[in-house]
Amino acid sequence: MADVAVRRHRRDWTPELLSLPALLAVLAIMGFPLVYLVWMSLHRWSMVGFDPPRFIGLHNFELLADDDRFLGALGRTFWFTVLGLASNLPLGLGIALLMHERFPGRALCRALLILPMVATPAAMGLVWVIMLDPTLGIVRYLLGAVGIAQPPLWLADPDLVVPTLVAVDAWMWTPMVALICIAGLAALPTEPFEAALVDGASALQRFRYLTLPMMMSTLMVAAMLRVMDLLKLIDIVYVMTGGGPGHLSETVNLYNYLAALSYDKIGYGAAIALVLFAIVMLCTLALIKLRRPSW
Amino acid sequence: MVSRRQRRALGFGIAGWGVAFALVSPFLWMVLGSLKKTVDFLAFPPVFLFTPTLDNYRQVLADNAFLRYTLNSTVVAAGATLLGLLLGIPAAYALARYRRTAIGVVLLMARMAPGIAFLIPLFVMFLQLHLVGSFASLIASHLIFTLPLTVWMMVGFIEAVPVEIEKAALIDGCSLPGVLLRIIVPLTAQGIAATGVLAFIASWNNFLFALVLANEDTKTLPVAVLGYIGYNSIQWGNLMAAATLITLPVLLLALCVQRYIVRGLVAGAVNG
Repeated sequence: MADVAVRRHRRDWTPELLSLPALLAVLAIMGFPLVYLVWMSLHRWSMVGFDPPRFIGLHNFELLADDDRFLGALGRTFWFTVLGLASNLPLGLGIALLMHERFPGRALCRALLILPMVATPAAMGLVWVIMLDPTLGIVRYLLGAVGIAQPPLWLADPDLVVPTLVAVDAWMWTPMVALICIAGLAALPTEPFEAALVDGASALQRFRYLTLPMMMSTLMVAAMLRVMDLLKLIDIVYVMTGGGPGHLSETVNLYNYLAALSYDKIGYGAAIALVLFAIVMLCTLALIKLRRPSW
Repeated sequence: MVSRRQRRALGFGIAGWGVAFALVSPFLWMVLGSLKKTVDFLAFPPVFLFTPTLDNYRQVLADNAFLRYTLNSTVVAAGATLLGLLLGIPAAYALARYRRTAIGVVLLMARMAPGIAFLIPLFVMFLQLHLVGSFASLIASHLIFTLPLTVWMMVGFIEAVPVEIEKAALIDGCSLPGVLLRIIVPLTAQGIAATGVLAFIASWNNFLFALVLANEDTKTLPVAVLGYIGYNSIQWGNLMAAATLITLPVLLLALCVQRYIVRGLVAGAVNG
């Protein structure tokens, strides 16, 4: 294809022209704002009031190191991510193994898996608030039905608010992990499994020594997607708890939004956004590196 | 006589359907709740059998604001989707056939960047341009995710088109834009539709961008639904009805393109 084009014209700029509009759009809505963001992070910047932005060098970043609310949110965000991965990956793989088996209605079951991840998170977050209501919620009723008479307050419980939010997030996104794993399972070669069956390997052995190692790279892809989104978690936290009780469920992204746009500390918020971006990038790259040696 | 194989299928069937039911049950509870009167809502233990009412839907739809927000969401999502396709398809073609890898790096960056990193500068820029609260600012900002999504998806669909057809057309004197319009677009029509649906869903569901950039007149549904939760009272029935009205179209759309959803997600991660 390329050689045809090159033979017709000496240097064909058409491909560049084709991607030019997209490139210009990317520059306008992403490239320039990012440069502007770096510039903002070096200033004390407020939208209200009459003080023009004042250059303060890296002072915003120095402040971050002493901001307990930021540090708390940072640790919590990692906690969200760890809990999210620890729940999503095993559950997702488990569901995928189940949906890999043949049973009546399997196609429909698989189709239903996509629903939680495409439903509007803000709306579903509120539906979950109603379901988790400590007095009238269906969750309290179901737990009561299995003998747990005094269930916790979920979103109002300082120790349980993060795990509860992770559970709602897991409801939305574990099916995505499962669907990725289903695709991975379908692509596995069948010969090793047939050989293992002939050799009399148990189901557990086949999982431990064949499925799991061969699924590692698929799981890494799923882990990468989940890490990118868990580190940036904000929607359901905003609508379900607003970061509360206190700041006990506040993520970096939520604090970032509040600092920049509610408290009007634009420069400081820009600094947080850059740090968050760097963290997402480092974690994603670390996972990509981790994926290489194993395969 | 039930064979071992059949018993196995039955066991997996029960487990599989159990998982599917558990995942779908919040939607069922939402729809059920939207049909309840307040008195049924305040009952504990929760009632499963009751006289259904459409009052909640009537109240939500009688509120002009809700229709207004629905229109806003539709305008923004349609705008961001169409603009994304218009800009993204030619770029995807160049990427698929001529390996302009620089764009790929940009796309991965876009996938990793937190939305707030773009929102803070965009908010200040739009404020200076007096565009905060305008549809233009919302559509432009939603391009931040619809454009990468479009390019990611379309590269895959275009690569699946046999290159010989294009070579033949080029040799017959068809121009490159002609190839794109007369060969690529018709042959990937299904892919374009799937991509469009996914971009529409992403835009429809987006919360943070509208929270920052919309005003009372241009607010989209995910932000508006917060209005049903007050400081002390939750309008349970109305909230459930509104949530049903917001999510149902998305769920139906998603079921139409189900086989592309994972492909888009996986391909995106691997290509980057």
